[in-house]
Amino acid sequence: MNQQNIPAPKKKKEKGPIRTEAVVPFLIVVLVTFLYFHFLFDTHLRKAIEFAGYQIMGAEVDVARLETSFFKGTIRIQGVEVTNSEKPSFNVVSIGDIRFGVLWDGLLRARLIVQEMAVEQIEIGQPRKTPGRVKPPEPPKKPGESALEKEANKLKDKALDKVEKNYDQNVLGDVAAMLGGTSSQDQFDKIQANLPSQALLKSLETEFQGKQKLWEEKLKSLPQAQEIQAIGDRLGKVKVRDFKTPQEVQQSLQQIDAILKDADSKVKLIQATGGELDSDIKKFDAGMKELDAMVKKDIQDLESRFRLPKLDAKSLSRSLFYPYLAPYLNKFNKYKGIVEKYAPPKLLKKKGSEEADTQVQPHPREKGIAYEFGRPNSYPLFWVKKISVSSQAGSTPGAGNMKGLVTDVTSNQTLVGKPTVLTLEGDFPSDEVHGFKTQATIDNRTPPLRASYKFSVDSYPIQGRDLIQSNDANISFKKATGSMNSTGQLIGLSNFSFELNNQIRNIDYQIQAPNPTVDEILKAVFTGVPVVTVDASGQGDLPNLSMSINSNLGPELQRGFEKQIQKKIDEARAKLQAFINEKIGKEKAKFEGEVNKTKSQVEGQVKKAQDQINSEKSKGEAKSNQAKKDAENNAKKGVEDQVKKALGPDGDKKLDDLKKRFGL
Amino acid sequence: MTLLLKQLFAFFKLLNSDTGTNQLALGLAFGLVLGFSPILSLQALLVIFCCFFFRIQLGAAFLSAFFFKFVAYVFDPVSDYIGRNVLESQSLRPLFTTLYNAPLVPLTRFNDSIVMGSAIISLALVIPLFFAFKIAIFKYREQVVARYKQSKIWKAWAGTSFYKWYSKYNDLYGA
Repeated sequence: MNQQNIPAPKKKKEKGPIRTEAVVPFLIVVLVTFLYFHFLFDTHLRKAIEFAGYQIMGAEVDVARLETSFFKGTIRIQGVEVTNSEKPSFNVVSIGDIRFGVLWDGLLRARLIVQEMAVEQIEIGQPRKTPGRVKPPEPPKKPGESALEKEANKLKDKALDKVEKNYDQNVLGDVAAMLGGTSSQDQFDKIQANLPSQALLKSLETEFQGKQKLWEEKLKSLPQAQEIQAIGDRLGKVKVRDFKTPQEVQQSLQQIDAILKDADSKVKLIQATGGELDSDIKKFDAGMKELDAMVKKDIQDLESRFRLPKLDAKSLSRSLFYPYLAPYLNKFNKYKGIVEKYAPPKLLKKKGSEEADTQVQPHPREKGIAYEFGRPNSYPLFWVKKISVSSQAGSTPGAGNMKGLVTDVTSNQTLVGKPTVLTLEGDFPSDEVHGFKTQATIDNRTPPLRASYKFSVDSYPIQGRDLIQSNDANISFKKATGSMNSTGQLIGLSNFSFELNNQIRNIDYQIQAPNPTVDEILKAVFTGVPVVTVDASGQGDLPNLSMSINSNLGPELQRGFEKQIQKKIDEARAKLQAFINEKIGKEKAKFEGEVNKTKSQVEGQVKKAQDQINSEKSKGEAKSNQAKKDAENNAKKGVEDQVKKALGPDGDKKLDDLKKRFGL
Repeated sequence: MTLLLKQLFAFFKLLNSDTGTNQLALGLAFGLVLGFSPILSLQALLVIFCCFFFRIQLGAAFLSAFFFKFVAYVFDPVSDYIGRNVLESQSLRPLFTTLYNAPLVPLTRFNDSIVMGSAIISLALVIPLFFAFKIAIFKYREQVVARYKQSKIWKAWAGTSFYKWYSKYNDLYGA
């Protein structure tokens, strides 16, 4: 093979600074991105909304259709259905159509600004085609739970327990039991339990006995009458007049001073002992007061243990309607929990709890601060200026006539300068709900966040709603028409106050009680009240809400039952009181007597010693004064005699003249 | 993944060759900026675009970005401190207000203290590090590669028929 035929090695062409060969891969990437957004993005976003909705609401959320347009910046969501977690065959709410467009002007500034959002075809509580999935309750977070969370949960459970205890009182059941004679009055003889007041009395007695010995020793250490008398005797012997020399005066004053110092030390001892004994006695007085309170509590506990019903209108109303109102409160707490969990921490100003957690994390990444450099009329990060809600009855079976407006849903109300305001009104004719009006405001311009609402429904149906379901009595509204209005305010997502006025008319009751007397009274009372009012109000930090429930049924029931069982209740109460008296009454009285006796004895002895020593002390002071005065007079007289002698004859007259001249 | 591995192999190949020093040093320097920027930000996309558009060694950029991501993580408290001081500066407030309300600029997320601090650190380091990388590559080639190529192991490996075949293949079809 000839050497010249061998081809020379191909010399590589020098490449320029621009990567021309990347054009094709770049175009492929652009094409793939376009295809993804065109064909798959809408489905993925729809699935993401369904997943997030399921996680947040705790029940299946379905979205029938979702369309986005990148160039127009629009989103359209159709057929949104939120499953009712308590009744999975029904929706809580379903929305036919949601449309909105985001401003490109805002997107280029990394802000989401929606000029107007339209929400149409709203249906409430409609049946679903297939039952929705409900999220199982989350298992309690035990191992990783922070101390702060544990403490918060404990407090929450305690508060809920308290609420349950306060309201889980089946007063009518207790009344029925009492009327039926099956009440536990006959069990009084069987009570063997140690009362807490009894235990307290015993501990007070033991303490008192210990103190008594101590007091005796202390009283013995006090200066006795002889010692005090000795002070008086010593004082009597001190010369206080007819001093001849100044040395005599000084000597007497020194003696008196020493005796007074001695008396002073004894006074101090008496005062210190008196103070100690006084504080001990005060402790026992407080103990006695605590004992009285404990006795009252024991009586209350026994009353509830023996199910003595409270026949006052308020207790009856509360017992009757708390179960009726509880589901509404539970719903409120559920949605409040969702807001707390998912609302941005900055919005709720909830920083404290996170700081405690960061300490236990191995290496938390530094969290930066995002500053907003807003200026008047600039965009906040998120702002839906207007949401128009409209729905027309008849378009779908469960649709209602709705008209409403939500304005200024934003991430920064301070920048926008407006609170979020919601107004909504309409009817749901298919569900017989008429005159539904609501107005709500959320104001976070200055912390804390304040939310207030006004809500009213002119008429809504009530069907098969239980008031009381127990072995002693079953009361329910078989069919009725209700109307309600409510106002409320929530501050900082914790402090809640509300008022709710409910009127229930055209009532078809279902009342049954095994005890014929109870059955008769209940039927007479309930059928005699054509319109039932339920007025509830509450205030406090959630969930520890102090609630008051009043109803016109309360006084009616009170009147109905009073004649029948008030006497029985009084008898039972008297028996309880007698039982308590028997258990601790005598001992308590004896103990009180002993305490009072010892108290007066101790106080008397201390006072006597104090009076004696004070009297001797004042005597000593008087003597000291007398000695000083006498010495002064003697000295004065001596000087005058010397002057007279120096003035010669008529010394008296001349001395008087001198005195007059000097104005003495 | 194949594309990424290919770029990484290309990086090591170029590093051990005598050419492409600027490409490598630029790639490493751009990687520093990428590592110090949040991935979903305008500046990161701009740097990625530059890496693709200009002949910058992509493997070096990705490797460097991967390394400097960890460095940025460690430096987060420092970045946060610097960012806060800059963003809270009264004299710069009008500028930031204008930038914050201007189109596109907020997409850089400059208003976040860590992003601002990281950007300042990376911008301060990018030019000195470009030259430092360049010097380091020269030194590496002089002191490590040249010495390694004189070693018996390399000579034995270079003498194998497999290496010769690979070498020929690489000359004809390699990048």
